Amino acid sequence: MPELEIKGKKIDLNEDGFLQNPEEWDDEVAKALAKAEEGIENMSEDHWAVVNYIREYYLDKNLAPMVRKVCKNSGFTLKYIFELFPSGPAKGACKVAGLPKPDGCV
Amino acid sequence: MSDILYFLENKVQIVALSFLLFVYILRIFWLFRFKSRKEQSYSEGNATACIAHSMLNVAMPWAMESIRKKPFFYIQFILFHMGVIFAIAATFIIPYGPQLFNIQAVVWIFQFIVGMAFIVGMFRLYRRFANPSIRLISSRDDYFSLILMIFYFGVAFLAIPNNYHRSEWPLILFFALTAFFLIYVPFSKIGHYLYYPFTRFFLGRTMGHRGVYAKRKKCRYPEGL
Amino acid sequence: MSDKNISKKIKIEDVTSLPLELESQQKASKEKIGSVTEGKLTLYDRQKRNVERFHELLRKKMTRQLASSMVACVHCGMCAESCHYCLSRPDDPQMTPVYKADQIRRIFKKHIDWTGRVFPKWVKAGSPVTDEDLNHLKNIVFGTCSACRRCTFNCPMGVDTALLIRFARGILTDLGIVPEGVFNVSRDQWETGNQMAVTEEDYLETLDWMKEELQEELDNPDIDIPIDTEDCDFMYTINPREIKFDPRSISHAAKIFHFADEKWTMPKWGWDQTNFGLFSGDDKLGAYVAKNVYEAAERLRAKRIVISECGHGYRSTRWEGYNWAEYDQNIPAESVILTLMRYIQNGRIKVNPAKNSEPVTFHDSCNIARSGGLLEEPRWVLNKVCSDYREMSPNRRENFCCAGGGGLLSMAEYKPLRMEVAKIKADQLKATGAKLVCTICHNCVDGLTDLIKHYDLDMKVVQVLELVSHALVV
Ligand code: SF4
Ligand code: SF4
Repeated sequence: MPELEIKGKKIDLNEDGFLQNPEEWDDEVAKALAKAEEGIENMSEDHWAVVNYIREYYLDKNLAPMVRKVCKNSGFTLKYIFELFPSGPAKGACKVAGLPKPDGCV
Repeated sequence: MSDILYFLENKVQIVALSFLLFVYILRIFWLFRFKSRKEQSYSEGNATACIAHSMLNVAMPWAMESIRKKPFFYIQFILFHMGVIFAIAATFIIPYGPQLFNIQAVVWIFQFIVGMAFIVGMFRLYRRFANPSIRLISSRDDYFSLILMIFYFGVAFLAIPNNYHRSEWPLILFFALTAFFLIYVPFSKIGHYLYYPFTRFFLGRTMGHRGVYAKRKKCRYPEGL
Repeated sequence: MSDKNISKKIKIEDVTSLPLELESQQKASKEKIGSVTEGKLTLYDRQKRNVERFHELLRKKMTRQLASSMVACVHCGMCAESCHYCLSRPDDPQMTPVYKADQIRRIFKKHIDWTGRVFPKWVKAGSPVTDEDLNHLKNIVFGTCSACRRCTFNCPMGVDTALLIRFARGILTDLGIVPEGVFNVSRDQWETGNQMAVTEEDYLETLDWMKEELQEELDNPDIDIPIDTEDCDFMYTINPREIKFDPRSISHAAKIFHFADEKWTMPKWGWDQTNFGLFSGDDKLGAYVAKNVYEAAERLRAKRIVISECGHGYRSTRWEGYNWAEYDQNIPAESVILTLMRYIQNGRIKVNPAKNSEPVTFHDSCNIARSGGLLEEPRWVLNKVCSDYREMSPNRRENFCCAGGGGLLSMAEYKPLRMEVAKIKADQLKATGAKLVCTICHNCVDGLTDLIKHYDLDMKVVQVLELVSHALVV
């Protein structure tokens, strides 16, 4: 099982690089995930805006928001979201936001 | 010629052959008992052409990447199966047209081919033992059938000159083995040639229907579409 | 941690011994979801005599096609030359297609064939004894094969190994012995009619949003994405991934249709052209999903069904679905590639290849090329819209799988092995020297993206609609 090490603490990831236990998420974890999985060295304010929105939506509804909701809410265009997270909203942003792997062919 | 050889060459041979045919017919009925699915979509290719293409696969060494990568296997395949054809031909020539083997050149050709098949068989046996992937999938039937074939080629090599006045035992062995073969074959992997038309037909039909091979210029829709 | 560090050399036992995960199944059972209570989706139940049921199903579902592929194999091993699992792991004898197929063939031999019933040892016939054996079989047929059919085309006997694999998957699905991902996606597709549990509201709002963006982009308030319009020239069906995660492809399509002056529509229901039944081997699910599409087209009196870029969707909706659903095709169905080709041929859209000047190569999706018959059409289109097209080798019917086919993308537990065997594909991609790899399958997009990241290739995945939309001259 792959892991992520943050300040001596070990966090389990699943084979796809998603958090095994979504409760373990915090800002540090997000930063580490962003770096390891998306190659984002520094999370900008815009990164955080997207990630935080996805996180809150997930905690509230227990599922990932549609990409449309992410765009509408953050005010970013779809194109810009893909610039922020090269793997796209599902494999990129949701992963950094600590969501479990989405179902389906992704 | 002793009675026993005569008996083997004629009666036993015919009985065994009839048995083989009988089992094959049963086997084909058995296969036809399973339902077959029909295609309900519009075709985009020529299924008949593709079935022909698929059936001729044996004769097209360039058609498959696996063979293109290993042409030596194709040569082996040809020699081995030529050996089978020639050995079987010998089982008919010896009782029904022995004059043919009075021609020394014919005997040499037959012996050469069967001899090559013998060598290929040895190589195949070696590969079956030495290659871990092949060893893992091999069953006793696979080993036994192959050893039997090698042995058969060896005996055929000795029997083909048809010198029963000098020594009868190669011929006795050859015909006894032939009889055993005819009975064993339908229950073993050696009977695979019976299934070849089936698998090839289905594959050809599916791929032809979809235009993976033999694609039509235009999808053939029913009138009016 | 990145993928690079997690998969060195995988021990195959670690894959074949993966346990049966039941969390989602238990949840579904507790919530009494419709597809379970109606008996469409089977849950695993250790009380039911699963091994016996396996044998019954084996007999019941047997067809002549399957039976001939069962009996015809001569154990020659030629198929090993073609499988990306074998080629990437040459020292692992359990990777050969024939070994995988033999795991189901041995059961056939033991229970249906002749010699094996009397002398099982002689022909390596055998039978699962415990549910644990069935779980082991599950790991082999789901975890070590992407059902790409490459071996089928390379077997001298014409044995359809991929068909046998799908058959085994189908029986296991009927017993609930499946990877968790397979269960989840099947559940969603049964429950919501689409693979990703997109609600109607989300579907419609996303389309609306794409419409607005397009209107803004082109500064034309008349651009539309019509929903449920009757008597159109075609009904456009898509992959739910396009709604849920990346709707850019919908807007590319809408843009092209707009400039081609097309009379098209998308259905409110029956819009998912993907079909998880192809991967899970479940013909019932396959029939249900395919029928949704066919009936939507009939309801809207569409003249044609157009299938967006998707490999298994194309194969299911265009070919297999009619057989699963026992539905005689009555309306033409085609891939959007054909639609694009017609537009360019008839001058309905103008394209300029100079707009896509980066070197691009094409990856044939297994389900579209080997199992679908679209070989030259995508190349024709690419050559019209790109100025530097490079062929990959091998290609067309002989192309290698992106390694993510057969539903493997939905089964995370098999990912390390999948990445290891993607090496063949990575080498193939690298050799082209292209910067872009184009594919007409959403599944391949994700499969290729994963391996590009894993093997650190300097490449990007694109799709045909994107390239065509980019090359448009208006
Ligand atoms: S190539 Fe065909 S006949 Fe040979 S082992 Fe593979 S599946 Fe069997
Ligand atoms: S279908 Fe593809 S992945 Fe599966 S065994 Fe055959 S070649 Fe290998």
